[in-house]
Amino acid sequence: MTKRFGGVTAVDDVSFDVPKGAFATLLGPSGCGKTTTLRTIAGFYDPDAGDIQIGGRRVNELPAHRRGTAMVFQDYALFPHMTVRDNVAYGLRVAHTGAAERTRRVRETLAFVGLTGLEDRWPSQLSGGQQQRVAVARALVIEPQVLLLDEPLSNLDAKLREQLRVELRTLQRRLGMTFVYVTHDQGEALSLSDWIAVMNAGKVEQAGEPWEIYYHPRTAFLADFVGAVNLVPARVSELAETTVTVTFGTHRAQVRRPPDVTVTAGHDVLLCVRPESFSITPAAPADRNGIALEGTVARRAFLGDTMRYWVRVDDREWIVDQPDPGAASPLDGAVSLSVRPERVHVIAE
Amino acid sequence: MRSLRREPVLLLALLAVVALVLTFIVYPQVQVVIAPGPSGYVDFLQGGTWIGPLRNSVEVTLLSTTTAVLLGFVYAYAMVYSHMPWKPFFRVIGILPLLSPPFVVAASYLLLFGPRGIVTYGVFGQSPIIFGLFGIWGVQTIAYFPFAYQLIADVLSRSDARMEQAARNLGAGPWRVFWTVTLPLSRPGLGAAILTTAIYVLEDFGNPQIIGGIFTVLPTQAYSLISGFGDFTSAAAVSTILLLLALGLYVAKIRLDGGRAFVTVSGRASSMPRPPVPLGLSAACFVACLALAALLVLVYGTLVVSAFTAVFPTNLTFTVRHFEFVATGTNGDALRNTLTFSVVAAAFSAVFALFAGWLVQRGTWPGRGALDFLLIMPAAIPGIFFGIGYLTAFNQAWLDWVNRGWLIIIAMIFWNIPVGYQAAVAGLRQVDRSLDEAATSLGASKLRGFRDVLVPMLGGSLRVGFVTTFVRAVTTLSVVIFLFTPATTVATIRIYQLVNDLNWGGATAFTVADIGMAIVALVIFAALARGRIALGAARA
Repeated sequence: MTKRFGGVTAVDDVSFDVPKGAFATLLGPSGCGKTTTLRTIAGFYDPDAGDIQIGGRRVNELPAHRRGTAMVFQDYALFPHMTVRDNVAYGLRVAHTGAAERTRRVRETLAFVGLTGLEDRWPSQLSGGQQQRVAVARALVIEPQVLLLDEPLSNLDAKLREQLRVELRTLQRRLGMTFVYVTHDQGEALSLSDWIAVMNAGKVEQAGEPWEIYYHPRTAFLADFVGAVNLVPARVSELAETTVTVTFGTHRAQVRRPPDVTVTAGHDVLLCVRPESFSITPAAPADRNGIALEGTVARRAFLGDTMRYWVRVDDREWIVDQPDPGAASPLDGAVSLSVRPERVHVIAE
Repeated sequence: MRSLRREPVLLLALLAVVALVLTFIVYPQVQVVIAPGPSGYVDFLQGGTWIGPLRNSVEVTLLSTTTAVLLGFVYAYAMVYSHMPWKPFFRVIGILPLLSPPFVVAASYLLLFGPRGIVTYGVFGQSPIIFGLFGIWGVQTIAYFPFAYQLIADVLSRSDARMEQAARNLGAGPWRVFWTVTLPLSRPGLGAAILTTAIYVLEDFGNPQIIGGIFTVLPTQAYSLISGFGDFTSAAAVSTILLLLALGLYVAKIRLDGGRAFVTVSGRASSMPRPPVPLGLSAACFVACLALAALLVLVYGTLVVSAFTAVFPTNLTFTVRHFEFVATGTNGDALRNTLTFSVVAAAFSAVFALFAGWLVQRGTWPGRGALDFLLIMPAAIPGIFFGIGYLTAFNQAWLDWVNRGWLIIIAMIFWNIPVGYQAAVAGLRQVDRSLDEAATSLGASKLRGFRDVLVPMLGGSLRVGFVTTFVRAVTTLSVVIFLFTPATTVATIRIYQLVNDLNWGGATAFTVADIGMAIVALVIFAALARGRIALGAARA
């Protein structure tokens, strides 16, 4: 699918398939085309090229209100002149659902999202989290084929965001409904999704399971966008069937050979290592099974659940996370790092 | 466009709106402009009869606009910035002239300063010749400074009090803040207010007609060419010149404010306090406003006193005889017609404007810019031109089966579209598109979403369109002067005729009844709308 606005190509020949019943997430920085993609699925934009199919049926020619794609908006878009009950009942009323069934479904859905008792409130009388739940209930009650969510948690504070994340995930599991979720928050994407497509500059850089995206990113952009990472230039010296031998600085290591990526001996690559993949100890002979680096602590930052160190090794700083930092006093001076070879991922440049 | 193809009902609605706009806004105006034909224009221009009125129109517009804007500015500055007492009183006095036909100021002026005027003859024993340029200048100044006041007060009250507070905080005095912060920031708005006032003055027909004498301006020349000589070709040519002038002013105004500003008189107070002004300045403002208010009270008070006295000013015996005259026969019909026509026109105009505003503001089809322009354009069309347009286009034998009252109503609807339309567009801009999309994603068609979600939220825009159209319909003379028939005459026409007959008791009682009726109607609307009405003072 391709979508242009004037001379700007917002979505550039993007193609993907969301499994039925999956929690799918479009992840990317602002302006990457993820919201445009979502809105094109909803029918608010017409694609300039390509097809949109829902449940195997091409919906390009269906107007937005006939697509069965309810949407939850970033600012909730609750109707301010309707009570919670009327907001949730709106879609059913439009569909001429009988009064009795309407009442029942509104009651059930509100109970489902934990809003029983607030039926007669106006949107302006609700907290952000409650408004968000009304928005979800309003979309769910019409039992859409696909629920589209456009950064629905971005206006909430961090604590509430995490709580609602869990609720959304649970909800989706229980309903088995296909969700397409748009966010720029990689943590949200990783924790919620069955499937993630990372978008950049109108294209899908990589799509797959969260685990795959996080540990085996195909590009440097991806590695950097999804969490903190050490990206280290290296050179391929030897190739084996399942392993690659790389050199970086004075070091030499044998790591996993990435599938479906061409690497050739003598070429430059990037090594991608997540900070938490290291173990860090006071300078001492490190774990002989792994790749060992000797360095000195340049800076550190206490992040609560981890201590982040910037460790200088030769002329390069590595980011290293130490879990459970309260267990010992902070490290300083000379340290040893080690990482297991399978935690080092090779990105072809 | 594709979305229209998918929703045929929406496409039909759009086509209907376009058809109405073409029929009732474009077609009549084109009829007037092309009526003289190329040779007609050549003959007319060579005849040179238009040079005098054109010069007069330009001259009087420059003079009256200047003085009206100066007085309006003083009043507005006093209301927005000073800490003078009696502001609610001054606010009411400032709104009242908007509810009256502007040309009654000329009638009052005759009573006060005419050859047998209460001041000139009664006090000084003089019978000066007051017709002509100076009379018009004075009358238009008084008639239009309240309009200028409303426009300027709106611009000034929008200026950001925080900027002024910041400037004061940096050490600038009130005078300096005004000249270096307030004025530069509101310059486009003030420019637009001045140009809008100029359009009012330029197209004023009633005042020059009543006290112009041989001093002819373009609107009065167009009128007398038709009513006196039946020379329709020349009248069309004269009104086209008038239209070009008004369009020029209007285009300049749009360049200044983007054609988007409209004024609402809702009595809202600024949320952030403005920095204090010196006590002396407030006192001076108070004196100035008192003088201006006294002038307005004198002008309108004269009308009221005359309406209740036997023969003003010689026999001041109290009587309701004039009101009995106003309530009976054709006069009573005229009053009833005014009410019916204005209410019907206001309702249709407000609803149509809202719908058209929605189609333009939320639509994605090609040609929206053109429709937008056509819906704003009537604001630039002088009433006399609009009336001649309807006369030409629709006063046809094959339309005789149509009640002529409908012609007046339709003229009022479309002449006043811009106010409601711009209120609707402004209102729609306040409503995030995600609300429409939410309705759509829940299964509502665009029309359904408009009805269920947007209309209930745009009550303010509807009320502005309704009230403003109502007031302008009640007070207009020039639009209806070519369209009325004995059975469909309206109050402004009767007032104008009674002034011409020198039936002062009748004319003034009619004026009081007309204004009174407008006020009562507005009070009822306000009660129905739970007090939330706002009057768009400007022609958008």
